[in-house]
This record gives sequence, structure tokens and C-alpha cells, in this order.
Amino acid sequence: MKPRIPLTPEAVNEWGLADTAGMAPTIAGARQQLRRVAFRMRTVDPVTTELVRIRNARYQNCFF
Amino acid sequence: MTWLPHLPEGDTDWDRLAALCPEAFSALSGVVAAAWDDTDPVLLELARLRIATLLGYTAELARRSERATDAGLTEAKVADLAAWPTSPTFTERERACLSLAEQFVVDPNGVTDAQVAEVTEHLGARGCYAFVEAVSVLETFQRACLTLGIKEVPV
Repeated sequence: MKPRIPLTPEAVNEWGLADTAGMAPTIAGARQQLRRVAFRMRTVDPVTTELVRIRNARYQNCFF
Repeated sequence: MTWLPHLPEGDTDWDRLAALCPEAFSALSGVVAAAWDDTDPVLLELARLRIATLLGYTAELARRSERATDAGLTEAKVADLAAWPTSPTFTERERACLSLAEQFVVDPNGVTDAQVAEVTEHLGARGCYAFVEAVSVLETFQRACLTLGIKEVPV
């Protein structure tokens, strides 16, 4: 998939892939913190979490 | 009021749920606050209100972002929000952002290259990216609150 937003040189990493964290740094940092907390939560079992993630990705046509 | 049973004590639904998972709720609040830090508050408030309308989140429609009102958002503009495609109250920049935000909520697969290009023309690449990220944060947040039955959320 071709990015729709033109990427600045600093938004492309050493492998030529988009790395957009610097384009909205405050949100990227906060999202990273939320991910850390979510992964540490043990009240939701990992199998259910993964099934929901895959199901949602399919529903949204997100094939990464 | 939230339908979840056996919650700790608290003044609001948000407080009671936050007491259940304080670290997660703190991180979630952090993401929402960050959305406002990286985006034009008037554009984001207009988008937030449209998201609330589309999702049927009436409690969210009643409150206002102080950042947006401080930045010049008026109640007259908010009152005209449903007519944004044709109302002279709205600028081309606001229309471009509202169009993208609405399509994002209804079906992100339906967002067109033209919609993204128009927002990029007004906000620049970085601004467009930040706006989409912020809309994504607020939409997810509203859906989560609706699912949990939370009416009062921190401003």
C-alpha cells in the first residue's frame, strides 16, 4: 500500500519503511505507554486478545 | 450510568472504572490528552462533536473542549455543525477535515485519496497525519466509553 501522506525523509527508517512516530510525537509517545500497560495486563487472556485483534484486522481490511 | 457491577466507590462512572484499572485508565487519559497537544483544537473539537453525533454519544455533545473555545470556537458554529458541507460558517479547511473525519468513522476503507490530499493541502503532511491520529484516538475513546456505559468523562 502506498502512503497517501507524503513522508518527510525523517519519517522513513533505515529499511525504507514508514516510521511516522515523529510526525505526531506526543500521540506516539502516549500510545506507546498505553501499549506497554495493555501488554502487562493479565486480566485478559492472550488467546482472546489475539483472536479479537485478528478478527478486527480482517473486518477493517488491515492485512499487516 | 455504567452497567458494570461491583465497582469501587467514586464520584463518576469514570472514577469508579479508573479505580478498577488505574494504570490503564491513566494511560488512556494520556493518549486522549496527547491528541489535543498535536492538533488544532478547533478542528479537533469539531471532529469530536461530529464523531459523537455519528456514534449517538449524546453526553459527549453536551460538553466543550476549553482549548477549542479559548482558540475561538463559537456556539454558533457548533450549532451549525450538522450543515458543515454547505454552511458559510465553515472554512474549506474545516470542511476538508470534517469530511475526512466523518468517513473515518463511517468506514475507513471508504476514505479517498482526494480527501487525504485535501486535508494535506490545508494542514501539511505532518498536520494531516496528526489530525488522523487524533481523530482515531477520540473515536476509539468514544466507542470504548459507549461500550462501557460511561457518560461523564474527564474534560
